[in-house]
Amino acid sequence: MGKHLVSRRAFLIGGATLSGAGLVRAANIKTRHWPQGRAPVTCAVIGYGPQGRELASTLGRVPGAKLVAICDTYEPMLRRAQRDVPSASRHSDYREVLDNTEVQAVLIATPTHLHKDIALDALQAGKNVYCEAPLASSIQDAKIIARAAREASQQIFQVGQIYRSNPQHRSVFQFMRSGAIGRPAMGRGQWHSRESWRRTSPNADRVRALNWRLDPEVSLGLIGEAGMHQLDVAHWVLDELPSAVHGFGQIMAWNDGRTVPDTVQAVFEFPSGLHMLYDATLASSFDDAYEIYFGTDSTIIFRDRGKAWMFKEVDAPLLGWEVYARKDKFYKETGIALLANATQLDAQNQDPTEDDPNVETPLWYAMQEFMDNHAFGPYLPAASWERALEATAVAVTANQAITTRTRLEIDPALYLLD
Amino acid sequence: MVRLALQAMATRFELVLHGDNPIALRAAGEEALREISLLEKQLSFYDSASEISRINRKATREPVRVHARVFALLKSAQEYHRLTKGAFDISVGPLMRCWGFAGGSGAWPDAKALLEAHAKTGMHKVELDETQCSIRFKQPGMLLDLGAIGKGYAIDEAARILRECGTMSALLHGGTSTMIAIGAPPDSPAGWPVAVAHPANPSKAMATVRLRDESMSVSAVSGKSFEYHGQTWGHVIDPRSGQPVQGAVLAAVTHPSATFCDALSTAYLALEYKEMEQITSKIHSIRSLIVYRKGEELELMTSKMEAAPNVDLNGIHG
Repeated sequence: MGKHLVSRRAFLIGGATLSGAGLVRAANIKTRHWPQGRAPVTCAVIGYGPQGRELASTLGRVPGAKLVAICDTYEPMLRRAQRDVPSASRHSDYREVLDNTEVQAVLIATPTHLHKDIALDALQAGKNVYCEAPLASSIQDAKIIARAAREASQQIFQVGQIYRSNPQHRSVFQFMRSGAIGRPAMGRGQWHSRESWRRTSPNADRVRALNWRLDPEVSLGLIGEAGMHQLDVAHWVLDELPSAVHGFGQIMAWNDGRTVPDTVQAVFEFPSGLHMLYDATLASSFDDAYEIYFGTDSTIIFRDRGKAWMFKEVDAPLLGWEVYARKDKFYKETGIALLANATQLDAQNQDPTEDDPNVETPLWYAMQEFMDNHAFGPYLPAASWERALEATAVAVTANQAITTRTRLEIDPALYLLD
Repeated sequence: MVRLALQAMATRFELVLHGDNPIALRAAGEEALREISLLEKQLSFYDSASEISRINRKATREPVRVHARVFALLKSAQEYHRLTKGAFDISVGPLMRCWGFAGGSGAWPDAKALLEAHAKTGMHKVELDETQCSIRFKQPGMLLDLGAIGKGYAIDEAARILRECGTMSALLHGGTSTMIAIGAPPDSPAGWPVAVAHPANPSKAMATVRLRDESMSVSAVSGKSFEYHGQTWGHVIDPRSGQPVQGAVLAAVTHPSATFCDALSTAYLALEYKEMEQITSKIHSIRSLIVYRKGEELELMTSKMEAAPNVDLNGIHG
């Protein structure tokens, strides 16, 4: 497994020049202007569930994007689409969208196990593709999609591993890589929510289709649908992929006939010897979702959609800038806020210790990167098919370990195409 | 019966559903409450990433494109402003600040500052461009705050999802002041019985209303207020005069739309009786109850709504 090759060009847009210890302060969030006079990218969203709606709503705010068509097989979702985006045409068959030569890009937000056929057909039809993560519900399907994406090298293929495009994450990533946490010793992550994960409809067939996340045949469970985004960040900041995973899964809160666990734990073993503990549950919402990386000099926590704080050991070297940085109290600990755009705010006479009101959501930056690729690419996006295959292979294997309550080695070949 | 709750929009939403399949009822309820959380993110005055905050930051300089649903809601707000002759106004923020009610308990304002704040108020000074789905302020320094109807709108949208999911009987309320009823509970076919609390003695009912496929909103002058020259000044500002409302202390309004109920109950605190009558005669599906304070006595005005028998009209509790 080699270093992650992030497209240099894509990386520099949100990145910064490294300048020693002050680099977090120097990292700027830059948003490029959509080239003047350039026609917007005509987009179609396929699958108008919660994620499809979020995509549509975000596209409305991203320069260079124009949502022209929405597809869903369920009539009430199309009625929602009509109210949300009245100007977009509505379709119940995705092939109509692919046949429409005016559509340049399709965004696939269907249930995970339905990505494959749509993604392959879309690439075949010459469309640029944004596919939600995880890429597929099996490694075999993920490889088929990844291969098609690799072959269509003149088309854009970006996956929904959105933190890869998030300037806040990019800045903290550089910070960690510069050694500011000392030697990484351990990682921990969680995703907690109090909800049943069930969906309903007056139509019995729909109830089955809507509840794909609770169907053990196709669902990757909590580790796949929630955890994989956080684990993707772990692969990125630790710069390695797990070599084994030990999993556990239980039904603790929603004993309603389901077999997909509502509470899971997993321990990921990395080649460097580092272990990452992860748990997710639908029983409790306590403390929401976060990831923590414990190092010998400091600990970093990511939470609240990409915000980050650092907690220093008393004997850690002085970085300098942290004296001026904003501090937030976490019970008895004091966290130093890692703000990606502090220097830029300083230059604009805004208070650099306040959150920047112009910071957009991680999904917005992912959409912006997708649009920019139309104007300046095609290049391999940060959330490329390679990253998608790796994250999907981890999620599929972890889900197997969880459902069988065992330890599974992950063959590095799973991460690669032949 | 299934019960769910959500903390959002600085209040507690509660939802009760009746039916045979508790698993499906909960699933429908969760989806409806998720919609409220989603709308909170779009409509919040305090969240810097919300559509409303973007408008407030930028709409003086340039037209701000917004989500179609937010645009439709702002358009409704402008229609309600027209219908209530300016008594309902989501741009009242500068006046609220001037009177010290934004985050404080109020204080007598400086006359010049009040004039300036008044100039920055008025939905007729907000330009809505239907073709671009965009908003622009014609007057610098304006602020939109959907506090008065955001909750009603969220409740309407949540109810839409409940109906799509096949819900036949449910009651959803936000902070007990705005609610919507779907169908009726099994033991009360006439509708969900809801009490309007007595403004001086909240443990007693001013009226009991039955709601069936209908919403109700109750607005009251209570909580934040201050004394000046021997008079109490409450936190509800009449956007037309720029002064705190004097007179009505409580308004309860029913109508099929919770958004409309929210707007109307707010406006009714500021409107003259005659103005209210004009609205009620135009829109027949409104039922209402207004309570005025006349010295130490309370006075009631009702339309298609009955006050509780032997209602206590003593305005001072105890």
